Amino acid sequence: MSEVGASRASWNTYRDVEVSFKVNGKEVRVRVKPYERLLDVLRNKLGLLSVKEGCGRGECGSCVVIMNGKLIPTCLTLAVRAEGSEILTLEGIAPEGKLHAIQKALLDTYSMQCGFCFPGVIMASKYLLDKNPDPTEDEIRDALDGNICRCGSYLRFIKAVKLASKYIKEGKVFFDESEVLR
Amino acid sequence: MSTIPEYYKIVEEVFEKYKDKEFLFVGRHTQRWDSIEKIKGRALFTADFARLYSNLVYVHSVRTKYAHARIKSIDVSEASKYPGVLRVITAEDIPGINDVGYVIPDQPLIADRKVRYIGDIVALVVAENPLVAREAGELISVEYEPLPVITNPLDVVDLMTLKEKPHTLVHDERGSDILVHYKIRRGDIEKAMREADVKVEGVYKTPFQEHAYMEPEASIAIPEPDGSVTVIASTQCPFDVRKAVAKVLGLTLNKVRIVVPAVGGGFGGKEDVANEVAAKAALAAVLTGRPALAVHTREESIIGHSKRHPMIAWYRHAAKKDGTLVAVEANVVMDGGAYASLGPFVPWRATVHATGPYKVQSARVDVVRVYTNNVYTGAFRGFGNPQVIFAVERQMDLLAEELGMDPVELRLKNILRVGDETVHGQKLTEEHGVGLEEAVMKAVEASNWFELRRRYSEITGPVRKGIGIALFYHGNSIGVEGADYSSVTLIINRDGSVSIRTGLTEFGQGSTWGLALIAAEILGVPPSYFKIENPDTSATPDAGPTVASRATVMGGAATVVAAYKLRKRLNEVASHILGCDPDDVVIRAPDVYCSSDPSRRTRWADVVEQSFWLGVPLQEFGYYRAPRALWDEETGQGAPYITYTFGAIVADVDVDIETGLVKVNKIFTAYDIGKVINRMGAELNAEGGAIQALGYALMEEIIHDKEGRVSNPNLSTYYVPTIKDVPEIIPLWVEAKYRKGPLGAKGFGEPSFNAVAAAIANAVAHAIRANVTELPITPERVYMLLKNKQKT
Amino acid sequence: MFRFDVYVPKDLRDALEAFKIYGEELVPIAGGTDLLVLYRQGMVRFKALLDLWSLRNELSYVKLEGGLVKIGALTTIDELSSSELLKDKRFAGLRDACKTFASPFIRSVATVGGNVGAAHPLSDITITLLTYDASVKVRSLEGERVVPLKSFFLDKRKTVKRPDELITEVFFSEPPNNASSAFIKLDRKVGHGMGYVAVGVYAELDGDVIKDVRIAFDSMGRAFPERALMTENALRGMELSERNVDKVVREVLPKEMGRISDYRASAEYRLHLSQVLLKRALLGVGRRVRGE
Repeated sequence: MSEVGASRASWNTYRDVEVSFKVNGKEVRVRVKPYERLLDVLRNKLGLLSVKEGCGRGECGSCVVIMNGKLIPTCLTLAVRAEGSEILTLEGIAPEGKLHAIQKALLDTYSMQCGFCFPGVIMASKYLLDKNPDPTEDEIRDALDGNICRCGSYLRFIKAVKLASKYIKEGKVFFDESEVLR
Repeated sequence: MSTIPEYYKIVEEVFEKYKDKEFLFVGRHTQRWDSIEKIKGRALFTADFARLYSNLVYVHSVRTKYAHARIKSIDVSEASKYPGVLRVITAEDIPGINDVGYVIPDQPLIADRKVRYIGDIVALVVAENPLVAREAGELISVEYEPLPVITNPLDVVDLMTLKEKPHTLVHDERGSDILVHYKIRRGDIEKAMREADVKVEGVYKTPFQEHAYMEPEASIAIPEPDGSVTVIASTQCPFDVRKAVAKVLGLTLNKVRIVVPAVGGGFGGKEDVANEVAAKAALAAVLTGRPALAVHTREESIIGHSKRHPMIAWYRHAAKKDGTLVAVEANVVMDGGAYASLGPFVPWRATVHATGPYKVQSARVDVVRVYTNNVYTGAFRGFGNPQVIFAVERQMDLLAEELGMDPVELRLKNILRVGDETVHGQKLTEEHGVGLEEAVMKAVEASNWFELRRRYSEITGPVRKGIGIALFYHGNSIGVEGADYSSVTLIINRDGSVSIRTGLTEFGQGSTWGLALIAAEILGVPPSYFKIENPDTSATPDAGPTVASRATVMGGAATVVAAYKLRKRLNEVASHILGCDPDDVVIRAPDVYCSSDPSRRTRWADVVEQSFWLGVPLQEFGYYRAPRALWDEETGQGAPYITYTFGAIVADVDVDIETGLVKVNKIFTAYDIGKVINRMGAELNAEGGAIQALGYALMEEIIHDKEGRVSNPNLSTYYVPTIKDVPEIIPLWVEAKYRKGPLGAKGFGEPSFNAVAAAIANAVAHAIRANVTELPITPERVYMLLKNKQKT
Repeated sequence: MFRFDVYVPKDLRDALEAFKIYGEELVPIAGGTDLLVLYRQGMVRFKALLDLWSLRNELSYVKLEGGLVKIGALTTIDELSSSELLKDKRFAGLRDACKTFASPFIRSVATVGGNVGAAHPLSDITITLLTYDASVKVRSLEGERVVPLKSFFLDKRKTVKRPDELITEVFFSEPPNNASSAFIKLDRKVGHGMGYVAVGVYAELDGDVIKDVRIAFDSMGRAFPERALMTENALRGMELSERNVDKVVREVLPKEMGRISDYRASAEYRLHLSQVLLKRALLGVGRRVRGE
């Protein structure tokens, strides 16, 4: 039996809980409040600011990360649930100085507008490509249907996922950042 | 005595010099300066800065329970004592003036005497934990005296007489709930109506639309040791925010500093609400002496910031047998909700554009904007124009049907061309750049209009097809709304890199990157050398607000001025190094050489270094003010805008007539935006504007119940288009250059939204052969139209 | 209070014991996609959450046992849709419901038990499970009981489940080979939405004759998913033809369906759409059974 944040005798103690998990390949151990969301912990305690809060209700896709191989909304995930898990955020998808194929493809297709939805869109795209390396247009639309981009770069996302799929098939998973800004 | 300012001459000189040249950077696809940081997720948006402050406090807004009520008393004692609460702030704690109205002072930051809509704030709770703040907020008790709630603008005025009806005033202190009334009076309308061969009339309705930018409103305020305050804010208009914060705190402008980091979308919505949010954070910071974060939840964002004005309009169009438009009459009522916001200006733009991009010999237009207890309405991409375009373009299709003409034919008969006068008597010349006809032809050709219009008309069965067209024009920048100026500082650093400083903000649209491309072109330095600095009222020059599709045109002109002057000096320095004439100098950073003898060359870095030692300043300030606009309040005659962007949209749709569901297949967008500066930005705007307008056409609508509460205050009940809703979009470009614009450019931020919903509406009407008069075109509305058609 | 504690049980028994100690102040949370939104809106209050996620190894499964299809309460929508067991045509309706269920990342956390427990019209999996005549297994310290899904709901957000009970499983009889199902919802957008109307249909065909049929809607009048029993009766034994379906949908369905008007749609339109979608679903099931 494990108790989190409370002694058996009384509630409302909100005692800190120690949670250990792996994020972007690194073991971390953080003290969290029982009521904290994974979103808050990733952002405020671990500084993973790519994880954005757009709605807090699982309706926009700005805060999604890959946890134990699943794309999940961190705004609707209790932080204590991270215990023992493995989490991947945008910060972890490419080494320093490098871009992942989907990032390169999004730039190659000139899809950048305000950029707020991009971390979620990139994670959802990567999640798709991990499971389905050669998605059709319909499969891309299905996979990104939860990610709202109010600036409306959707058509570019479709092109970018296809392009990234091509890059990956050619064995080009990572690109130098400098290749883009030439 | 008037002298022509130097900056007009420079902008025109540069236009002439470049008009036939091939551009190196302008009009090409380029990667923005912020691409890498955004794609890596490193770009910081306002709320991301919270992590930098270990002693941060959180501001929670306690909002009213009623949409219309008098406040009899408020008791915050329990909340103040709640553990973890640092301070509860009510109206009486405000050191300066309790007002955040954007244009007129009608909107208290914290309600004192009464509440006027469901988003009104009655108190702020400041605590170390946001949940504690919310818990304490529930302990605040307010005694209200509820008043009748007005949600229908036609309870305030009559549509046909536009006279105010007796009702409980929303703004009793003003004595009337009609905020503004604008008019156009041209020709002898009665005679024209009498003599016309055909007339069509109708009543049209458009909904409240929510911006739904992905980044909710946020501000972080930091109290400074000298009693001033710094605010990091998600805003389109840092200098307006500075004014609002200074007013609420009772500080001078130089004691308030607004910094704008990455902004996650705006679309007009982050014009005025940013004042409120920044003021809340600043107030908390000053009263607690600690950095304060005010961030709206999505639900608060939806109930607590301006919406697109809903419109109810009665229109009558009259034409001759041959299709010549002779008269337009219109009564337009716009629902302003509880506060003025941009309300003095939005109806004005609607008025100016109320007859569409056509030659109209006689017109009578009356537009009023009224207060109700709905969420207040303000600026939203298009700014009053999309509403009247919907009405006008539906009317044009009805007229075509009545005359037995093709909708394109009828429009071509009446559109504005060079040499024509607008309905305001403004003569359009070559100098304005008038590319409407070319846009129509491009859209018609690309969409295979004539063939499909005929073929779709013959389709029967459960899925019908339709194709529709809509045209528009859109006055650039702010016209007579206010002082229309812009400014930019260009700095060439010691290493040859270039910094651009301007108060214009980037919130996704990419227009400040356009400034870099203009400067790159004129200086001869590639865009990769450039960085656009974040707007900061203590460092970047006031460039006016980033609104009204003005950043490229106005900021671009200021950039032309600064770059021109710098280039002149650089050429002189290079001439000194190379020994050829300054006019002979070619800069192609990293190289600089003589045009007449390319073997005589030096490096860009050396020219920059030499300038430093020679004492030639490599910083320049560019200022530009638009030529004055003219407007007669009684007749609507004059020259309301400096120039116009034009466009023609064709939409191709399927309608499932059993369910009423509309599916858009293709949207062809042909735009005359003058010289295309930022190709990537233009294409993304064309697509993004079309998608947002598709939402406006088919699904988006904020609903208020009878008590003035919002029925759909979140993104699962307020629908915006997702990736599966998006059709093929085919962007087409016409470049009818505006001679007084930077390199011939015109504005494009708003126009990309304007006529798309109208084109979809016309396509649906074509598919189901019924008269679409209301947006959004939901399945139920289609079902009702078909059912009523069957009855008659 | 907007702050809360969390209790993480080590197994099912531990979870059930926790209720005994803490009573109604303890609220179970599965995927959280519904509960945490209600909590955020202040519509549900609790002092602590009982985090069921630690019971996933016990309660997440889709299996065939003794002629019954059993779905663990903590099976996510994602897991349900990718279950090998449900790949054939007899379960097509469940796959339809999964495919249009919210968005991909919600499907990876939302659970079958959560969907049933929500007791809300917008419960697509529940609508489909009703067409399989599923039953719900609930457990407490007192033991286990089985409630037919069609009698599980009392009202919107109210079920027969007591606060000290947990939903552990949903099960239904394995359908015969001549059966298939369909689920359709429609809203004003092509991409994901709530649906003005959602309908699930299950049918067994004997040649062209409808041997058995079960129909469920998001709402028949009350604010939770229910079966259209009169319509089912009228269809049973009929030949599955467009004409017959059209007739029943026009004449029988309106007699038993009471739709509401709200800000999203009128009762009139909802009824009309219910008729159109039911017809499409029935004919679709026919094609699926025939393997078309």
